Amino acid sequence: MGTINAALSITTAALDANQAALNVVANNVANANTVGYTEETPDWKENAPIYVAGIQVGQGVTETGATSQRNLVLQARLDQQQQLSSGSSARLTALDAMQALFTPDSGTSSSTAGDIGSDITTFFDSFSSLESDPTDNARREQVLSSASTLAGDISGTANSLNEQSASLDQDALGIANQVNSLTSAIAQLNQQIQSTSPNADAGTLEDQRQTDISSLSKLIGINQVKTEDNGLSITTTSGQVLVDEGQNFQLTTGTVNGATDFFLGGTDITSDLATGGGQLGGYLTARDVDIPNALNTLDQLAYSISTSVNAQNNSGTDASGVTGTPANPLNIFSEPAAVAGSAASMSVVMTDPSQIAAAGAGDGTGDNSNAVAMAKLGNETLGGPTTSFSLTENLDSATPVNGTTTGNVQVFDTLGHSYQATVTYTQQGANVWGYSVALPAAAFTSGVSTPVTGTMTFDPVTGNLIQIQPTGAGGPETVGTGVGDVSSIPLSFTGLADGAADLSIGWNLLAANGTSIINQSAAVSGQAGQSQNGFAGQQTPINYYSNFVSTLGATVSEVQIENTAQNASVTQLQTQNDALSSVNLNDEAAAMSTFERSYQAASQVFTMLNSIMASALNLGDQTAVS
Amino acid sequence: MQDPEARPANPGLKELVVEASQALARLDAPRLEELALSCQALTRTLNPEDARVRKLLAQQAQEAKADMAVFARVLEVTRGNLNVMSRLRELRAGRVEYTERQARGGADTEERHGDD
Repeated sequence: MGTINAALSITTAALDANQAALNVVANNVANANTVGYTEETPDWKENAPIYVAGIQVGQGVTETGATSQRNLVLQARLDQQQQLSSGSSARLTALDAMQALFTPDSGTSSSTAGDIGSDITTFFDSFSSLESDPTDNARREQVLSSASTLAGDISGTANSLNEQSASLDQDALGIANQVNSLTSAIAQLNQQIQSTSPNADAGTLEDQRQTDISSLSKLIGINQVKTEDNGLSITTTSGQVLVDEGQNFQLTTGTVNGATDFFLGGTDITSDLATGGGQLGGYLTARDVDIPNALNTLDQLAYSISTSVNAQNNSGTDASGVTGTPANPLNIFSEPAAVAGSAASMSVVMTDPSQIAAAGAGDGTGDNSNAVAMAKLGNETLGGPTTSFSLTENLDSATPVNGTTTGNVQVFDTLGHSYQATVTYTQQGANVWGYSVALPAAAFTSGVSTPVTGTMTFDPVTGNLIQIQPTGAGGPETVGTGVGDVSSIPLSFTGLADGAADLSIGWNLLAANGTSIINQSAAVSGQAGQSQNGFAGQQTPINYYSNFVSTLGATVSEVQIENTAQNASVTQLQTQNDALSSVNLNDEAAAMSTFERSYQAASQVFTMLNSIMASALNLGDQTAVS
Repeated sequence: MQDPEARPANPGLKELVVEASQALARLDAPRLEELALSCQALTRTLNPEDARVRKLLAQQAQEAKADMAVFARVLEVTRGNLNVMSRLRELRAGRVEYTERQARGGADTEERHGDD
């Protein structure tokens, strides 16, 4: 009897299992269109074997539940690629908007940002026109008119870029709220999953969690770590914890230097988020890298043109026989105080065209030599690397030994790239301070910043800097203007990552009148001023601008390629994910085979196309030669 | 009848590259294999004697350069994805083997893998 009962039991269990499996299939059908639902397959578990007279006669099966056919490895890869794709998409959108600013609009008669290149040419050509008749008022008005157009387009572009930056800032702010909402939901799901399914797949809860993680991946770069009892921790790609099982940590925001920064647990993680991917990474990269680069270029262009044209005009004689002086300058453009902000504030301040100094200094008003010199500015290299800078600094004499204070100054290399040079002063003893001048580590090919160091000695009574001793020097050197004295500290920085020539900068220690500008006194340490003489790379204005537009175009193209490839990658992975979620293992092998076939065929296509391209391009060369 | 020399030497070079990228994104193996055959055929037309055709071909190659960069990058990410899928398959295959061993009462050992 026992044998019959056992057989019936096996059959019954099998029938129950089949019914349960049918229920799972029915559930799959019902959820076929549910976003994020992962198809489930029944789990079959063997029953304990039955032995009759020492012989195993059967074991049967029991359906123990359903396991979603998700795969964490594939899902993680999909999320990772989604982050990259979302990041490059967001950045590309911003770059396209930027590039549109610099594209000439042939459909409008009004001058726009895209006309800056032709504005530069027209402006310097107007001086060429003035050369031929320096007393002609119409030609003088044309100079001011073209100057106004140039200044208006440059300042308008800078303002548009600032508006784009503000818009991106708002977009980024909105994403922070979405991130917090999702991490909160994931933490709650973690709690539910850990309490209800600590050792098994959590089914729909897991689907929901995965959907939220996928959404989070589109917004921000994340890493996932599985924890005990089916829990999950989520960090940013730089390792800051967003979700720790049932607890989530909110991203907070604050305004730093006019822009929104992002904080986690009091730490500013904005730069980490910018490089992490997701929409937020894309927005922040555009806001903090691409737009500032464009603004910096425009600033240098505006600064170069304004200062050089003003200086040249002040060196000549205007139509009334007047030569500009520091007290009463004959400036065409508003004189910028510093490179930063020059573009947005660029404007024409000269209203009387007779103040254009077409004649040379001391020459009659009919002379055109200064107009010739101003026209030539359009073909001369403007600006160059920083060769000297000055810092006006007070060092607190009450600073304890090893106490520090810092100063900084923006310096430019031969390619026009700017860096923040940081000067650190360290109190070493009574009236003696160590100094260290460093550029950011990222400025160097090696990724390592080697500061220039030495010591400074101050007069205990006057507080003036009286001696310096650069590290490696044989002894102290007297600071002053006398014979054998030094008035600056030579600084040298080599191996710049952008390929620029080595930087040789003199750090001026004295003002033009020979007085000390770095002093020690019983007052709070601080930097009262700074100046440097470098700006826009050694190119003509039009070349400098053209190179910038070309570089921007190349950046857009590069991001476009990345974005296309990442989107393709997401499509491939989604296809595979769909296949794995809905087919059996045999079909899965077929799907994998398709993947391999596709790759192999594509490799063949690429190899042949590459060969065809090379041959075709050579054909063009040969044709050109013949 | 259209003058053969008036036709582009290779009307679809750029389109061919773009389609290859798209087919690879879709993992459309049959289409990619067709494209491979097309490329083989294309190589046979690469030595046109007519200077205009040569120039046109060179121009089309120039125009397709950006799309080739995209195709190269898509191929690169595909290789990355394929590596992930290969590892995934090994993992899943391992799980299947483990289940079979478990079904045999857990007495299975490593030496019984393979042809046994």
